[in-house]
Amino acid sequence: MPLRVFEETVLPHLDAAFNYARWLTRNDAEAEDVVQDACVRAMRFFSSLRGDDARAWLFTIVRNAWYSRISRRSTAAEPAPLGAQDQLSDDALDPEERLLQQQTVALVRTALEQLPVDFREVIVLREIEGLSYKEIAAVVDVPIGTVMSRLARGRERLMAALEPVRELEALR
Amino acid sequence: MSCERVERDLGAYVDRELDVEGSMAIRDHLGTCAACRRQAAEHEALGRLVRAAPYYSAPDRLRARVSAQTRRSTMRRILTWAAAAVLVLSAGGGIAVWRSASTGNAIADEVVNSHVRSLMANHLFDVQSTDQHTVKPWFLGKLDFSPPVADLASIGFPLVGGRLDYVGGRPVAALVYRRQNHAINVFVAPVRGDTAVRASARSVRGFHVHYWTRDGMAFWAVSDLNDAELTTFVRALGGGS
Repeated sequence: MPLRVFEETVLPHLDAAFNYARWLTRNDAEAEDVVQDACVRAMRFFSSLRGDDARAWLFTIVRNAWYSRISRRSTAAEPAPLGAQDQLSDDALDPEERLLQQQTVALVRTALEQLPVDFREVIVLREIEGLSYKEIAAVVDVPIGTVMSRLARGRERLMAALEPVRELEALR
Repeated sequence: MSCERVERDLGAYVDRELDVEGSMAIRDHLGTCAACRRQAAEHEALGRLVRAAPYYSAPDRLRARVSAQTRRSTMRRILTWAAAAVLVLSAGGGIAVWRSASTGNAIADEVVNSHVRSLMANHLFDVQSTDQHTVKPWFLGKLDFSPPVADLASIGFPLVGGRLDYVGGRPVAALVYRRQNHAINVFVAPVRGDTAVRASARSVRGFHVHYWTRDGMAFWAVSDLNDAELTTFVRALGGGS
């Protein structure tokens, strides 16, 4: 398998792979391991990628890599998320606005991290990665109806968790 | 359209996943119903909020690790292939999946055991689907090869699912087909080394076992179906002698 083709096809999606893995694991080091593992697998299964969307294909492999890691662990519990590490900032905003925005981002992140992983991943794939229902169904390996109901329930929970922010945002 | 219907489809509407007709019906309803309009606005606002969540880009360290690793494993692959080629040459092409009658019997025994176990444990499939486009990707990331999956429903052998199994101590893809009340297990794995035997058929404890190779893959079909019909099935999958 030509290495160059692999690098040109898969490596451009490394950010997306890492973002997804990071939301699955909620932990930087673990996400790195999952992505590395996934890339090794991706290389072995590269011949199975046939004109499909390489990004969705890579998500599937990331998810399987993550899944086999957590299945291997004796404790079924997910590791606790690490604390805040990075904050988005926008220099165009005045200090007060910026603080408000940082708080919003922190609250959104916490709310999303605290969702059960079944809901969290479909919301990340839909809202952040922009995958279609069909693509999500293929990545998560569930029927489209399940994707829809998980999205709906996840959003419901997020709405409740983000109630204070949503009120704040409405005032702005 | 009722508010209940709208509420049910609002998520798909906001995600632009409804067909034209459905999304027009919702748009019309939103034009007249303030309560639903407010809900739609909330949905959209939530989407904006979630998209403000951090995007975690791959650290440079990971990028470097992955690059180094893919290069390393490409090298290893080349070396492994080279070594295998040397080995095959020196052994006079003697490394085969089903080299002799005795290993053939041992493997036939094993695939029959797997077949029986799948029926007894009522564990025929991990993925249940009649759609080859669902079954094939299911193996992605679970095996280091991609088994060919054909749907033979048109000739009376519908695909019903797939699962992971083990034959000869290595993971194989098991594809499950049906003929009336008979299950047919097809085990697929890449051919290892050279194959002296390209196709064979035998009976083991009342089950028919067909073995063949095609495009670098080894296949074993096992069933208690009568051998004439199983042979038709095997031919349709490109096997048989």
